[in-house]
Amino acid sequence: MTALDIQPGVPTPTEKAGKSSGGGFLGVIRANYDLLVAPIIVVVGLLLTYLYISAQNLDTIEARALEPANVLSQLGQHLLLTLYSTVLVLVIAVPIGIALSRPGARRVQGPVLALGGFAQALPPFGVLLLLGFWEFGIRSAVIGLTLAALLPVLRNTVVGLQQVDQSLIEAARGMGMSSRQTLFSVEIPLAVPVIVAGLRVALVLNVGTATLATYIGAGGLGELVQQALRLNRINLLFVSGAIIAALALLIDWLAGVAERAIVARSG
Amino acid sequence: MSETENMIVLEAVEKVYPGSTAPAVERLDMTIPKGEIVMLIGPSGCGKTTTLKMVNRLIEPTSGRIILDGEDVTDVNGDLLRRKIGYVIQQGGLFPHFSIADNIGVVPKMLGWDKNKIRERADELLHLVGLEPSTYRDRYPRQLSGGQQQRVGVARALAADPPVMLMDEPFGAIDPITRDRLQDEFLEIQRTVGKTICFVTHDLQEAVKLGDRIAVFATGGRLAQYDDPDTVLTHPADDFVSDFVGGGAAVRRLSLLELSRLELHPVETDVAAVGNQNGTPVAEVDGAGRPVSWRHLPDRDAAGTALVTVPLSGTVYDAVDVMLDGSASLVAVVDDEGLPQGVLHWNDLVAGLKTRERER
Repeated sequence: MTALDIQPGVPTPTEKAGKSSGGGFLGVIRANYDLLVAPIIVVVGLLLTYLYISAQNLDTIEARALEPANVLSQLGQHLLLTLYSTVLVLVIAVPIGIALSRPGARRVQGPVLALGGFAQALPPFGVLLLLGFWEFGIRSAVIGLTLAALLPVLRNTVVGLQQVDQSLIEAARGMGMSSRQTLFSVEIPLAVPVIVAGLRVALVLNVGTATLATYIGAGGLGELVQQALRLNRINLLFVSGAIIAALALLIDWLAGVAERAIVARSG
Repeated sequence: MSETENMIVLEAVEKVYPGSTAPAVERLDMTIPKGEIVMLIGPSGCGKTTTLKMVNRLIEPTSGRIILDGEDVTDVNGDLLRRKIGYVIQQGGLFPHFSIADNIGVVPKMLGWDKNKIRERADELLHLVGLEPSTYRDRYPRQLSGGQQQRVGVARALAADPPVMLMDEPFGAIDPITRDRLQDEFLEIQRTVGKTICFVTHDLQEAVKLGDRIAVFATGGRLAQYDDPDTVLTHPADDFVSDFVGGGAAVRRLSLLELSRLELHPVETDVAAVGNQNGTPVAEVDGAGRPVSWRHLPDRDAAGTALVTVPLSGTVYDAVDVMLDGSASLVAVVDDEGLPQGVLHWNDLVAGLKTRERER
């Protein structure tokens, strides 16, 4: 936490040492070789799919649907849906979770968490379709996804703050930190690993659920699936399934690496 | 108490927790003179920790006044008050995500000290508690042993040089050997810093060893006795205190008796004195004059008796300890250079120890 007076971009001896000993993205991978398993599976899977499809005779509909430009634009929509909803989950669930863990709010904590559980229990597909009655498009899709992924982050924020060693809070207050200073420099930093784990769950949930957004006209990779089902194109269905699975694995992997990097940093 | 100034004064302080009718701390009047260590001791639930936390208002008293260094602090801002009072808890309570230097710098940073000054202060304090700054300042608490963490905890409390320190069972979770060493170091540090210290413990041995005064709390938050250790051990105020002090009082008192205050028997190092009839033991010394074995002992075979030594700065308790340990019925008391200053016989313990008038 010491702010060292170093110019950005200029590598210092400590920075170099940090990278080789576990700091940073590459350092985390180097320190955790098990993290290499998921990307290998993804690459091999996509390669096999590609080889299989290249050997097939695709008709015009299939060929047009699988054009890189088309797939990439749907991938872009999908990622945007995921990004928007996850960011929304972050800015809604984390502050509410923090507010719920304040001593004054302990009594409402149970009911609010129950509400979160209720939102999670609702089938996302149904929620999306209901929201479709209100408005077709990206906005309602993002709201639906956000609702479905709120609980893990909310619960992890509350739990993360609860598991902070009470004696550390007492030490902080005993040294004269205000409750606000204690929250921001002790409680939240120590809860970050748990909160990040919740965010990872929300992110992966959103990547999967975003496939359904196509039914209310919000696009995404679900478009490919829908097309394949409607036109009864098995090859197309196979490829879209493979892409969606690969994306979910990749996002989970990235989030996992980020999580470990954050945990390594916050001790 | 005309000469000494009172650092902490508790006036009719009482704590009743909401939803309970019995007070956790019953109407308490207590004065703590500047530069003294006061040990708060008693069974669990006796209000000793509550009392400690009322001094820095981590727990707000229900009624009564708290006066710190002549200033009534009952109603001042608690956060600002606490920055002026050192606070040490069990296992140090170090922040795991802060480096050691940053942990020590918490209070100075809140007080707005300059960055270089904070760093210098951290190094200075690490040095004071016996940790090499260059090795430890950038480490994290999890890389330190329990004893080292506790040292850093003490350093952190001293950071802004507060006149008063509150310590809540700081050595409670530490193994006995390390605890003993930490206690010695703590007394050493106190000798240089001279803080007014309020120290909660459940260990009577610790209270007797460290305290200038002991406050014994009884169940129900009543202050049963507030006296110097010797008086608490020898003249318990009531049945509760005598029960609490228990049967070991006589043995515990031994650690209050400093060897330097005793009238010791003479010891000879001259070979010519072997065979003397006046009962003076003769020790064989090495080149530097340190005793290595007995040449002559009255009424006993000198060769069969181990020569054990105890430093003059120790207590009778230490002397008894080495005698039992070495199966010896007498012990040579040596000064800082290891030169013999006298002997203490086992029989002296039961015959009554003669103390010299303190030269002050």
